Amino acid sequence: MPIVLQIMIREWKRIFTLSVHYWALVVMPPILFFLYAGIYQEQKVYDLPIAVFDEDNSAATRQLIFLLEQTETIHFTRSVNNYDELRDAMRRNEIMGAVHFPRRMEANIKSRKPATVTLYTNAAYLVPAKLIYKDAASVLLTGGSGVILQKLVKKGMEPAKAMALVQPIVVSTYSLYNPNYNYRLYLVPGLITVAIQMMIIMAAVLMLNYERTTKTLEELVVLAGGSASNIIAGKTLAHLTVSWTNWVLVAWVIFPAFDIGSTLGGWKFFTLYSLMALGCIGLGAMVSAIAKDTMLAIDVGLFYTSPAFVFSGYTFPKWGMPWYDQFYAQLLPYSWFLEGYIKIFTMNLPLAFAWPEIRGLLWFIIVSYPIAVLVFQKQCNKILGV
Amino acid sequence: MIKKITSCFRIAAREIRIIAIDHSLLLTLLLAPLLYAFFYGSIYINKEEVNVPLAVVDDDQTTLSRLITEQLNNTQVIDVVGAKDVNHAQYLLDISKVQGYIYIQKGLEEKVMGLQQANMVLAVSVSRFLPPSDLLSAVTQVSMTVSAGVRLQYFKKKGMTEAIAMQETNPVTLDYRPLFNERTSYGAYLLPGLLMLILQQTLLIGLAASMARERQEHTMGELYALAGDRFTTAFTGKGLFYFILYAIYALFFLTVNFSILDLPIRGDYFSLVLLIALFIATLIPMAMWIGSLFKTQVLAVQIMGFSTYPFFLITGYAWPYEELPPVLQALSAILPTTPFLQAYTSIVQQGGGGAQILPQVAHLAALWLAYSVFLAINVRRKFRT
Repeated sequence: MPIVLQIMIREWKRIFTLSVHYWALVVMPPILFFLYAGIYQEQKVYDLPIAVFDEDNSAATRQLIFLLEQTETIHFTRSVNNYDELRDAMRRNEIMGAVHFPRRMEANIKSRKPATVTLYTNAAYLVPAKLIYKDAASVLLTGGSGVILQKLVKKGMEPAKAMALVQPIVVSTYSLYNPNYNYRLYLVPGLITVAIQMMIIMAAVLMLNYERTTKTLEELVVLAGGSASNIIAGKTLAHLTVSWTNWVLVAWVIFPAFDIGSTLGGWKFFTLYSLMALGCIGLGAMVSAIAKDTMLAIDVGLFYTSPAFVFSGYTFPKWGMPWYDQFYAQLLPYSWFLEGYIKIFTMNLPLAFAWPEIRGLLWFIIVSYPIAVLVFQKQCNKILGV
Repeated sequence: MIKKITSCFRIAAREIRIIAIDHSLLLTLLLAPLLYAFFYGSIYINKEEVNVPLAVVDDDQTTLSRLITEQLNNTQVIDVVGAKDVNHAQYLLDISKVQGYIYIQKGLEEKVMGLQQANMVLAVSVSRFLPPSDLLSAVTQVSMTVSAGVRLQYFKKKGMTEAIAMQETNPVTLDYRPLFNERTSYGAYLLPGLLMLILQQTLLIGLAASMARERQEHTMGELYALAGDRFTTAFTGKGLFYFILYAIYALFFLTVNFSILDLPIRGDYFSLVLLIALFIATLIPMAMWIGSLFKTQVLAVQIMGFSTYPFFLITGYAWPYEELPPVLQALSAILPTTPFLQAYTSIVQQGGGGAQILPQVAHLAALWLAYSVFLAINVRRKFRT
């Protein structure tokens, strides 16, 4: 049997028997994948607790309260009688927003005096605040438009012309790739893949140096005939194939089970995933060859990979970050993978569109493996006394 | 009593010696908190999303369409990118040069002037978190402003005075007041919690690693000997150093980092300090208990490294607690982060004080007790013999 295959099989055995490998590559993946998918099981936010501060108590305000209650996110749970009570309820996290209808609102509208409806949100929690604003603004602005429309029609204007004056420009919105703003669709794949990057690197940084801890390095070097490239190739193949099992878990179990994406995995996703995995294994092998101390290697792996999600631009866009943070983002395989993933999976574009990202991932492979082989070859030579 | 206090300080000094010779602990406990606080903090230093690229296809090429384009470009959120047709705009979207596009139909101005409804198409890519909602909101705002301008001109032409025309244009106004984060900026929302999460995770990883090290190096007997064979003295002494260190970090973050990142503390400072002290005190037995479950330091750091995102995501800070499945709600409730972030947000961002956070304080105290009991049971079971 070729030496590379022997080393691969040996590495498989290590992966399934050594706790530092099987925890990261076998045990943690399903736990984290199901956890992330479970967090966003509801997909959207429903019925957030809102207070009503109604000083008018008129038919118009009751109608508006009814319409607001029909939206997805707004659910009136209590009424408040003043601003201080409103703020206090927010500080106690009892409500996430409030709507204030001023005294004489209906009468003012009828007598041509402007009326102001105030919407308060607890913007310390950004996601609920934005959702409440979206739903409330839609209802309240439609209500305002209705008032204008009624007035114009009452004055004898044709309904079509009145409508054109109320809303001269209609904006038809198409929300592409995730029309319902489903949080599960766009957060779960990102969280799962960033976890995969971390798992691969955290296991790979122990790929070579942990042989010293288990006192098996010499045996390995002898088996490989002193060739660092054979060792790294065999171990890389073992880690890559194990990472494919996680791809199967994600693309063939988690995504279909939680209704993420319209296709089962697909070769485009597989190609990009494999490139990311190879890049991560290469980086891990490089660290593992350079850092003989396993704790140091783990620390480097942890501090390098843990910020990947926030630096990727998935939540806060990269163009909003200072240049040095944007630069650091380029040094993470995940940033490249994510851009490519959005194109080929979320947007379902041909793989060619992800060429810039593929090129970026290839650089990690081109740089990391030769360094790992060169550094580790010196150690092999020393062991063999060459 | 004095003997116990002396033992505690002696054990704390031993902990300092261990950290000084263990570069991993040194890195995690002394370098990482400060490095992360500045590094992560800098991502959101601009706080708000600005200049999201939006392609505009203007088939009308009139004064009104140019006004709309100009208005879009004048918003803080949008950076207009020209596109010659819809296919070109879609291509720009495909290669990630823009995050959406808007199509202004031919004859838009003519229709508007002739009191006919005109149409504009907005396509946004909902593949990321912030850009689609910000683009949608900015475009809606511009279209409403332009619509109001059209109505105003119409009413003035009908002979109304400026004041009456204004009233007729918008009889019902929506006054939106986002409280406690007036600009609804992502940075102002995330940064205060993120700084505390950095504090929590470095403490959990570092202290769990230190406990695993005791087990790996078989030094628990030495710790007990210094404590006069008393559990409370041994672990109070071990935790004491971490409590002091992390209290200093917390004060540093609240003064230096909050000041650099221009984050206000709106509520009662004294209540905040007490709350953070209780939080750190709760994390210490939790970290020790978790650490005592691991046989090696490497494994402790490796596994705890995966805890950061799950811990944050199930606390209710990023996604409403009520929307979590019951199992995850239960898991969330046993994390000190959950009550802490609620109380911390109430004080730091919402201007609250001690009176508003009593349930969370009780929750944290209960967790402190629970983790101390877990630690005692596990340590007695595994190490005393």
